[in-house]
Amino acid sequence: MAGRGELIAVIGDEDTVTGFLLGGIGELNKNRHPNFLVVEKDTTINEIEDTFRQFLHRDDIGIILINQYIAEMVRHALDAHQHSIPAVLEIPSKEHPYDAAKDSILRRARGMFTAEDLR
Amino acid sequence: MEAPDLRVELDSLLLQLLRDLEELEGKRAVLNARVEEVGGWGSLRDGQFHPPFSSFSETQEGLQKFEVVRAGIHTPEEVGPGEAAFLSSALRRRKGPAKTPEPQSSEAPQDPLNWFGILVPHSLRQAQASFRDGLQLAADIASLQNRIDWGRNQLRGLQEKLKKLEPGTA
Repeated sequence: MAGRGELIAVIGDEDTVTGFLLGGIGELNKNRHPNFLVVEKDTTINEIEDTFRQFLHRDDIGIILINQYIAEMVRHALDAHQHSIPAVLEIPSKEHPYDAAKDSILRRARGMFTAEDLR
Repeated sequence: MEAPDLRVELDSLLLQLLRDLEELEGKRAVLNARVEEVGGWGSLRDGQFHPPFSSFSETQEGLQKFEVVRAGIHTPEEVGPGEAAFLSSALRRRKGPAKTPEPQSSEAPQDPLNWFGILVPHSLRQAQASFRDGLQLAADIASLQNRIDWGRNQLRGLQEKLKKLEPGTA
């Protein structure tokens, strides 16, 4: 993470964001933009995607935490992110347990090897 | 580099990758348990925890005002009386009426538990501890993911070199 900001951003439901804000990650940058987004019933996919892309382009964010069920809504944006930083971590939520089969990072890792490659 | 040396390096890299993946899986399980089952949601639910405002957008605004006061840019009066409860911990630290902004940048960050008054439920403290542990795990997992990404790129590079040296095995 050297050379990149140290903030952790969160995109999640109210409980997720509240919990991590309790943990002390809440910040506003010089433009008064927060490093979190609470996804509610009326939050549109465009809003989620825009916020995700903004977090990707900020140079003060090193890690993005996102509930996996929300990640599924913007899977194309996650899959398009090929850089190591910021790191994107999919996390469970109260109603949606974590499913390793859906995780972008782990799917990429599984695709690393084929029988040909290991010969 | 000769093909046998490449193969040795490839095997070594592969083993390291598999170890990293195993470690990633382990840390993931711990993080998920921490956040989802043990401390995070359970404690928040048990404490019937609610943010200090009716909607989270207000909490976001409250957080903005908290940061503004902490930075000494505005006096509490300019921020607004409605947020008095939320800002109480910041206000208590000020000495008398604030005529000129105090430089706040060297102050230690406020504990978010202070948003909810002096006496907070034990379950809320537990939830905070769980989420803080989760943050450390998240940082560890992010580092592991970066290492795995790096290893993956190295692996591809070595495989390409090997195919050039031994086209018959491709």
